[in-house]
Amino acid sequence: MASATTSRFSRSALIKLAVGLVLVGGLFAVPRYVSSPYALHIMILIFLSTIMGESWNILGGYTGQYSVGHAAYFGVGAYTTVMLMQFRQVPPWIGVWAGIAAVLVVALIIGSICFRLRGPYFVLASIAVAEIMRLSATNLDKFTKGAEGILATEIPVFIIGEHVVTDFLTKVPFYYIGLSLALLTIAVTWAVQHSKLGYYFQAIREDQDAAHSLGINIPLYKNIGLAISATLTALAGSFYAIYVGFVDPSTVLSLDLSVQIVLVCIIGGIGTIYGPVVGALALVPLSEALRSNAIAEGLFKSGIVDPASATGTFLKENLAHAHVLIYGILVVLVILFMPEGLLGFLRKLGARLKQGRA
Amino acid sequence: MTIFLQSLISGILVGGVYALIGIGLTLVFGVMRIINFAHGDIMMVGMYLTYMLFSMVGIDPFLSVLITFPLMYLLGVFLQKVLINRVLDALPQNQILLTIGLGLIMSNTMMLAFTSDYKILSTTYSSSSFSVGGSSISQPLTISFLITAAITGGLYWFLVKTNTGQAIRATAQDREAAQLMGINVKRMSGIAFGLGAGLAGTAGALIAPTYYIFPQVGSVFTLKAFVITVLGGMGSVVGAAIGGIIVGVSESMGAVYISSGWKDVVVYVIFLLVLLFKPAGLLGKSRM
Repeated sequence: MASATTSRFSRSALIKLAVGLVLVGGLFAVPRYVSSPYALHIMILIFLSTIMGESWNILGGYTGQYSVGHAAYFGVGAYTTVMLMQFRQVPPWIGVWAGIAAVLVVALIIGSICFRLRGPYFVLASIAVAEIMRLSATNLDKFTKGAEGILATEIPVFIIGEHVVTDFLTKVPFYYIGLSLALLTIAVTWAVQHSKLGYYFQAIREDQDAAHSLGINIPLYKNIGLAISATLTALAGSFYAIYVGFVDPSTVLSLDLSVQIVLVCIIGGIGTIYGPVVGALALVPLSEALRSNAIAEGLFKSGIVDPASATGTFLKENLAHAHVLIYGILVVLVILFMPEGLLGFLRKLGARLKQGRA
Repeated sequence: MTIFLQSLISGILVGGVYALIGIGLTLVFGVMRIINFAHGDIMMVGMYLTYMLFSMVGIDPFLSVLITFPLMYLLGVFLQKVLINRVLDALPQNQILLTIGLGLIMSNTMMLAFTSDYKILSTTYSSSSFSVGGSSISQPLTISFLITAAITGGLYWFLVKTNTGQAIRATAQDREAAQLMGINVKRMSGIAFGLGAGLAGTAGALIAPTYYIFPQVGSVFTLKAFVITVLGGMGSVVGAAIGGIIVGVSESMGAVYISSGWKDVVVYVIFLLVLLFKPAGLLGKSRM
């Protein structure tokens, strides 16, 4: 009997593993068959959102510390990497380590200030610190070029020995880097959830005082959670900066970015391994479709809306600006009707369908 | 000395409007324990309302308060009944996210309707000033300060003297006990959110003649509103009024003595210091 259950358990685990491997293999094969730069661009954005959502998830989802200031880590990572590359000719794959080091210092300072506070006060403090970072980057214009931003003009060619690995001229190397980083963050989340560390984190999330009375060192574990989360967010920032080739305070250090990072995780499903992936898969294509006016054109082509009519011109001119509106509407709907996020909703739906069949 | 006096006076005058924003936020927090991240966006809606009333009908921005306040009050009651009411017992994080989402919806809807261009509401007196003892004082700021003072006084009277006001304060003190005393807590929540939105909208109307109007202006003021309420003590109306003046003065002092780019940093640093060393605020009870 016991052996039967273990074999069944291992069988379902094996199936999961096989499906996962096929999926990952398929993702790695995509650039061989897809040459459209736009399709690759969308995929890269999905990877980027996944990295951001997963890394926030470790602090916000597992440890229960709702930071709305993650743009600080994203921005410091992005700025360090780009500044070292532009001003000191340090290649990004080395600069990113400096970025992580800088972010860890920042995280330690922010953590020592903000983790004394709880609940809404922690949220407010995290926002204030991120805003101080943004305003500093704007005002220290001799150091960071201020609001003007920094344009990354030339990424050095990546060479190991004599062999040219990549020259970063197409989107393909970015695709592979993004995919690898996304898999890395998912793996880190998995490792956190299945380790003692993860149990400490969740104990702090569920009841900080109870966790404290059980002997868990609260400040230490909150800071460990922040360090892991900030490091991964810095990776996302560096990757974004090199991919887009431009950083300025109002994109990489803004409150909007902090909110967006939180939303990817919340809309997908907070405190779960695959929630942020689902969030990124839902949000990126939707907001890109709006941004590129694909939805408006779709409406015209299908004949629902006449492009020459007043509604048509309104849609053509304005729908592209509405991509953030989608985030707002989605988060309101998710909070009101699917408090466990899209992933939780889909799981419930799946369970109900199974029940109906049986 | 003149520079000092002048920046002190203009700081106090701007602080009056900040106080109004802070009082709205603190009222909502006091009664419902909800931190409203859409507060600045509600104020932004008030600014656009004032702008429309002025540019389409020609109503003076200060006079338009009489229209803006009731309209924004209704908007607040509507938001409370339809959305906020559903998350009163949810996790605080979810409440915050709901209001963040609401704010995003408001600012982006305004962007669709008015584009993201900066609008300027220029009245005949927008840049006029008069001088007292060698320092020049902005006329629109003075008028808005006087209106603010009147509204704050009226609100204080309402909360202390009237039955409804006392019921609101009772609800803020202890929701369950108030309910046991026969107070309609749900109705009080609606009124409090309505008042909060009305005050934010009024602040928007008052600041419209001296500030740029654009869809993203809200987040700046949401943050300021938080700083103000935390300074004064979450839930304390008098505290928020004092907090508003402190923020106004430190901004204008920071702009004069450090640089205008760093003035917001000064405010945030004060904010963090208060959070760390006197988290209950100047006049609030600790709720940590």
